[in-house]
Parts: sequence; C-alpha cells; structure tokens
Amino acid sequence: MNLSALVLNGMVAAPVVLVVLVLLVARLSEAAAVRVAAFGGLVVLGWSVWLAALSQTRLDGTAVDVPWLAAIDVRWHLGVDGISLPLLLMSTVVFACTLLALVRNAPDCGGTAWLAALLLLIEAGVLGSFLALDLVLFFAFFEVALIPMWFVIDQWGDAHGPRGLQQRRRAATRFLVFTVLGSALMLVGFVVVRSETGTFDIVRIAASYDPVGPVALTAAALVALGLAVKTPLWPLHIWLPDAHSKAPTVGSVVLAAVLLKLGTYGFLRFWLPLVDPGWDWLLPVVGGVAVVGIVYGALACLAQTDLKRLIAYSSVGHMGFVVLAAATYTIGGVQGAVYASVAHGVVTGLLFFLAGAVKDRYGTGDLRELRGLYGRVPRLGGLVAFGAMASLGLPGLAGFWGEMLAVRAALFPAGVLPRVTFVGFAVVAALGVILASAYFLALLRSAFQAGETGASPPPAVVAGDVSRWEWLVWSPLVAAIVVLGVAPGLLLTPVAEATVAFLGGGR
Amino acid sequence: MNLVQSIDWLAIAAPTVLAVAAVVVLLVDAFLPRPLLPATLTLLAVLAAAVPTWVLWGDPAQSTFCTGDALEGPELCSFSTDAFTLVVWGIVLFGTAVVTLIGTAAVADGRTPAGEWHFLLLCSAAGAVTLAASRDLVTLLVALEVVSLPAFALAGLRRGDPRAAEAAVKFFLVSVVATAITLMGISLLYGVTGSVFLDGIAAGVATGSEPWSVLVVGALLTVVGLAFKVAAVPFHMWVPDTYVGAPVAVAAYLSVVSKAAGFVGLMLVLGRGLPGLADTWAPVVAILAALTMTAGNVLALRQTHAVRLLAWSSVAQAGYILVPFGAVTPDDVGPALSGSLGYLAVYAIVNLTAFAVAAVVGTRHPAQRLADYRGLVKEEPGAGWPLAFALVALAGLPPGVIGLLAKVLVFDAASRVTWLVVVMAVNVAIGLVYYAAWLRELFRPAAEPGDSTYDVPNGVGVAIGMTFVAGVLFSVLPGWLLDPVLAALG
Repeated sequence: MNLSALVLNGMVAAPVVLVVLVLLVARLSEAAAVRVAAFGGLVVLGWSVWLAALSQTRLDGTAVDVPWLAAIDVRWHLGVDGISLPLLLMSTVVFACTLLALVRNAPDCGGTAWLAALLLLIEAGVLGSFLALDLVLFFAFFEVALIPMWFVIDQWGDAHGPRGLQQRRRAATRFLVFTVLGSALMLVGFVVVRSETGTFDIVRIAASYDPVGPVALTAAALVALGLAVKTPLWPLHIWLPDAHSKAPTVGSVVLAAVLLKLGTYGFLRFWLPLVDPGWDWLLPVVGGVAVVGIVYGALACLAQTDLKRLIAYSSVGHMGFVVLAAATYTIGGVQGAVYASVAHGVVTGLLFFLAGAVKDRYGTGDLRELRGLYGRVPRLGGLVAFGAMASLGLPGLAGFWGEMLAVRAALFPAGVLPRVTFVGFAVVAALGVILASAYFLALLRSAFQAGETGASPPPAVVAGDVSRWEWLVWSPLVAAIVVLGVAPGLLLTPVAEATVAFLGGGR
Repeated sequence: MNLVQSIDWLAIAAPTVLAVAAVVVLLVDAFLPRPLLPATLTLLAVLAAAVPTWVLWGDPAQSTFCTGDALEGPELCSFSTDAFTLVVWGIVLFGTAVVTLIGTAAVADGRTPAGEWHFLLLCSAAGAVTLAASRDLVTLLVALEVVSLPAFALAGLRRGDPRAAEAAVKFFLVSVVATAITLMGISLLYGVTGSVFLDGIAAGVATGSEPWSVLVVGALLTVVGLAFKVAAVPFHMWVPDTYVGAPVAVAAYLSVVSKAAGFVGLMLVLGRGLPGLADTWAPVVAILAALTMTAGNVLALRQTHAVRLLAWSSVAQAGYILVPFGAVTPDDVGPALSGSLGYLAVYAIVNLTAFAVAAVVGTRHPAQRLADYRGLVKEEPGAGWPLAFALVALAGLPPGVIGLLAKVLVFDAASRVTWLVVVMAVNVAIGLVYYAAWLRELFRPAAEPGDSTYDVPNGVGVAIGMTFVAGVLFSVLPGWLLDPVLAALG
C-alpha cells in the first residue's frame, strides 16, 4: 500500500480503530476510556491535517479505487479535493472539541465512554462520506452515522419535563426515520443515474454525464429531495428542532456542525453533476425552497422560547443560504456554499456548546426564564454575543462571507438560469439576513442584558463562569471564526480550483 | 427413442441424500432413541448434500431426466443443476443446518418428538433442493408440495399445544387452496403451449401460442399459487398466527427455507417459463410487491410480540424481494431477478440470526414480549450483539452493511420502475421504527439484574455464531457472497 492509500484509508479506519480501543479501555476504567477518546480525536485531527498537507503536493487521487461489490460495479473509491477538504478539516476540529468536552463534562446518566465511542463511530461515517467518490459508497458512509446518532439522542438526550422520556424517544426515532427516508430517496436517484450512465463513479459522471430527458430529471429531482431531508430544507426540516433540543450538548454540536454538512456537501458533490441548468424548473425550485427556508427559519427563530430550538431554526436559515448558492450553478455559488457550510459548522458548533453551558448552569434553556446573564456570567455572555454576531453575518467574522457570497451568486446565476427570478431570491435572502439580526439581538437583549424586571432568574445549578477546560474546548472554534472572517482567501481559492477541475470550466 | 433414461447420479445426489437421510433418521430414532443422534445425523446429511453442490460448482449446468433428441427437436430436461440451482442449494442447505441447530432447543424441552421433527425437516429440505433444480411444471409442483406438506406437520408438531394445532390447520387450508389454483394455472399453460417444460413453454409463448387470453389467465393463476408460498399480500394472513403458534425453529424454517422455495418457484416459472409474458405479469407483481411491503411494515409497527413482529417483518421483506420481479422486461430477465436472489441470500443469513436469538430468549420468556429483550446486550452479549446486528441489517443500515447492500441491489435491479423503488424507499424508512424500538430494548438495562441471562443451548449458540460470523464477514467483504450469487443469473 503506498502512502496515498495509507493516508486515505487511514482517515476512515482511524476512528473505527479508536472505537474498539475506547470500548476495550472502558472495561478497565471509564475515565481513562474517555481520555483515550479525546486523545484519539486529536490524533484524527492531526491525521486530517497530514492529509491536507499531502493533498497540496503529492496525494495520488487514484490511489484508492478498488472493486468493493463488483457485481453492480460499486467501488471503494476515496479521494479529496478543495471542495471536501475544508469540510473534512472542520469536521475533525469539531469532533476533537466534542471529545475533549466529554472529559470534563460527563452526561448525568453516565456511560460517557460509550458516548465517546459512538461519537468516534459517527466521525468515521462522516469522514468516509467526505472522502467517498462512489455514489453507493457515499450512501453507505452516510448511513454509518445514523444508528450511533440515534443512540446518542435516544440514550443521552434531555428527558426533562412531564413526558420528557417519551418526547426524547420520539425525537430520536423521528430523526432516524426522516434521515433514512432522505437517504433512501437519494439512493433511488443514484440507481436511476446508474441506469443512465452505467456507473456509480462520480468522477466519471461529472466528467462525461450529459443529463437529458425525463429519466435524468427524475433522478436529479429524487437526489435533491433526499438531500433536502438531510440538509434540511424547508418544509422537510421538521425532524430537526426536536432532535436538536432533545440531544445532549455534544450530540447537538455534532448534528448541527457536521451531519447537516453531509447534506450540503451532497448537493455540491453528488447533485450538481446530475443537473442540467437548462431545465426549466429544477434549479429555480430548489433555489426558491432554499429562500423560503431562509425567511421561515428567521421568523421561526423570533417565536422560539428555547435556546437550543432557536439555534436549530437558525440552522434552517443558514442551510437555505448554502443551497441557494449551490442552486445558482456557478463557481462563485460553490465557493459560497462551501464557505457558508464551514462557517456554519464552527459558529453553530460553538453556539450549541454555549447553549449547553447555559443549560448546565441554570438547568433550563427557556428564554422566558433566563435573565441578565451578562451580569452573572460575563465571559459566557460575551462568547454568546460573539457567536450570535458571527451567526448573523457580522463582517469580519466567519458567517459574513458565506452569506455575502451566496447572495452575490444569486445576483449572477449561471447564464441559462432565469436571472430575474434569482435576483428576486437574492433580495429576499438579504431580507433574511436582516431578520436574523433581529432575532439574535432580541435573544441577547432578553436573556443576557435585561436586568431585574419580570420574573426572577432561575438559580444557578452550577456556579461559575467559563472554566479553563471550556476555554480550551471552545478556543479552536473561536479562532476559526476569526481566521475565516479576516482571511477568506484561504478557503476560496482552493474551492474555486477544485470546482473547475471537478465540474469543468465555464460554469 | 431411448427407452432407458440415463441418469446423472451426481446431479441428483443432493436431494437423494436428504431424502434417504430422512428415512434413516426416522428409523434410527425409533430403534435407537438418543437425544442428540437425530440432530447429528441431520447435520451430517446436510453436509453430505453440500459435497455434490460444491463439486458441481466447478462444473455446473449438468442436466438429467431429459426427453427428445436431435430428431424430435431441442432436448428438454426436467432436472438441471446450473449456477442458479447451486446458489439456491447453498441457501437451502445453510438454512436447514441452522434450523436444525435452533431446533435442538425445542427438542430439548421434550414436547417436540426428535425423530419426526428431523424427518419432516429433511423431507421438506429435499423438496426445496429438488424444486431449485426442476425445469418442468410437474416436477416443480410436486417439489413445492414436498416442501409444504412436511411444513404443515412441523407447524403443529408441538405436543399438547392447541395454538400450534390451530396454526397448522390454518396454514394447511390456505396452502391447499393455493395449490389447487396453481394446478389450474399449470393445466391452462400446458393446454395452450403443449409443453410442461419451462423452456418449452417459453418457446411456445415466443412463437405466439393462441389463445393469448388463456395463456395470461394461466400465468396469473400460477403466480397466485406461488404468491401464497412467499406470503405476498393478499395471501399473507396465515403468516403471523402460524409463526407464533409453531415452535421458533419452525417459524425460522418457514420464513427462510420455505419462503426461499416459493421465490425460487416464482423465478423459475416467471423468469424461465414466462419471460415472454413479462409485460403482463411484471406490473401485477409490482403492485403485489408494493402492497406486501406496505402491509407488512405497517402491521409490524404495532407488534409487541417478538416472533409476531418478525413474522410481519418477513412479510415486508418478501415485498422487497418481489420488487425486482416488477421491473422484468421480456429481454432482460436475469439481471433483474439476480437482485431478488441476492437479497434472498442476505435475508436468509440475518433473519436466521434473529430467529436463533428469539429461540434462546423463548427458553426463559416464552411470552416473547419485546420488553423481555431488555438488557440482552449487557447480560448476554453473545446473543444480544448478534440480534442487534441482525436487526440493523434487516433495517438496511450500517453496521449491517450487507443488509444495506442488499437493498442497493434491489434498488438497482428495479431502477427502471421508479415509482416502485420510491415506494420501497418509503417502506425502508417505516420499517426502521419497529426495528429501532426493538433495538432500544436490547440496550436498556434489564428490569431485574439477571433477568436476561440465559443458559444458551449449545446448538442454538452455534447457530447464532454461524449466522453472525457470516453476516459480519460479508459486511466487510460483500463480494464474497454477492458476486457469485449475482453471477448465477447474470
């Protein structure tokens, strides 16, 4: 096995090996197992950095391409380029942070080692999905993450409230059923594509597939529908708020920061090559649905009374920006989509960590009860303000560029697309940015600034402001938000190059 | 014409061994009753039958019991061991061996007579093996009855259990009606085409036998009879009561080997005999498939009895296996049906794991409530993990990669009929609800510590181990199982 094959296969295998290791150590000592998992998260992060460094110079893209199920031409085909690499790195960073967080912040119901093992298993599936260049392999890796995530919500989720346990189970099962429905529909689209192209290899499809006719349109529509459930796009997002609000903190972080990105990455890597921009309705409809999601997410946020649900709905809006950018079918659109995906990953990951920290301290995430947190936990409050500003798209922080590029791409869509429609989308999306400012500012004012008026704030369950360990866990995300905000070129150039190479020039 | 047929003894060795062994087991148990002897003999017989299967694999496409010669036209054979036959033999023999092992638990409790149980099992297996090799409708129907008749007796075998008796009677009545319908269909097909040989019927259809309408009616009636065997809607009502009433080992046999026999019959009659009519029967089977999986999944949602849940789940799975039939076109039979065969092979392995664990749990918790499975992973990991694996594989999710790939196979084989694949996609999602609910029980702590510890009978332990190892192995290296299986019909 040469170096490239070792690095690529190892990227997927390393988390799986760590799962086994963690479970073995857990038989001796739970605490040690969690430490092993946290250390493992760092190892995988390091491995992904190694992969990134090699990919600049001498990574052989054809190194891992062997038959896996020869009968229907499914291949074990892994590779990485400028589109997947940023998402891959973002994922390993987020997973390293969540695993580190578990070391000091164990869930109440115990079983931390198991939780860490499940997170590593999810990581294996996620990394595999970003590396897979075969449609079925992508589907299979996609599914790897689901059962572990279902367990994370079902076993470690929040069971507060009179019917909390039942609600938690329902949230977990709904997440599972919706996501599997999405991937099954996507798979239907994939097999129809194979009946057209004779291959599951996305590199060959991207290079030579010319989607014409009703069958090709059906395939692209089915794949879009499947990915729309997973991303999620309005109106298929209904599994998301429950799953987020019931999941434990680390579960919410992984779900929002990483699992949603599989959907948006799917749109870029596995949907755009299946689409002919000349079709009358597919791209405009997807763009339109995305824009509705942006506005809907913002309005829903204004009505939320739970901190985690609010962040969850804000994700619906952000995913709308990503998909709108993808639907413009331009290089600028892909740049915007990748940028917004990565930015959403670090920003929303941070926000869910912070929401979890608030909930740990006050036993509730109910915005009607939380009051005056600036005064009581100033550093935590400051971080929430920072995250909220990044999320609403303040220039200079990560969130800005993704939304700006998405709106700009919508102003200049691919030549064959109806320009007026997309300009309309751009205007509405810009309105969504303003609405997002409104709900985050409202959140800051009610829960963090407002003083003594109204009901008295809930007493602190755990006293104290941000601990050192929390600083350690969160600082990579904070740093990433700032770096991405001030130096967007780091990301935009490789994405553009990869897009030209993958999708061909002139798009 | 040659009056003395030359018989290829190697080709018919497998069914012969099983049939002879059936009689031997019955006699030995009558004169030399030892608790483990019949099971051992049965396993040896299955192994012995596997030897010719293995030998023939190197040199398939042997045929025997042929008529006709160069003067009378093409040679037509009743019995043929091509790659398809051998793959089915593999599934049947594996299934029979596992069921024998699961059955040791039922025999051990003393209410199931060992000699009769193994005699009936071997008879039925001999029928299934013959069925896969049969290439004319008469042999096929006789073989199908040889599969079914012992199965009625098996379902009612448990002494002093009125539920088992009722299940057997119900099963028997529905089955007899189905057979009568099939016979009617076969007689019509023979009347129109003038041949009972599948290849002869195919040739007759291709040359445009008249009247067309009678041919179509004959084909549909034959399909109806076989649809009963695979428990397709609306012939599925017997399944849950029979599975619950019968010993778990018998339910396992019905859901895997007997059901496989039904699918093999469908593949032979439709794929080999009536490909020319595919435009007529494929849409009918497509609708049957959609109804079957939807009914199975929806009715499984409310079950709290583990075996009854498995029964409905197996109805749903039968719907999935039927899906590729719905996408067959007259000139594209093999590739479509190989999706079904591949799924069948995977289903056999993982479904047997689930039934084997259910047999273990049944030794302490005969009520088989889902709640009785609490704590199984923690307290009895040797049974809990395999069941968890089997459930995710049946649901089609990793780590049960083999189950996921089986669904990919079916999707791929049926991609031409997109609506049907979309229905299946929705069904896969519905099915998750009940598999996940059961999975959750496995990982919950037991109600009382020690409530989920079992004295796993050795035989069942081996059965669990065999099927679990096979499932995991093929999840990592799916090509080892699926490449030869798919090549068989390719």
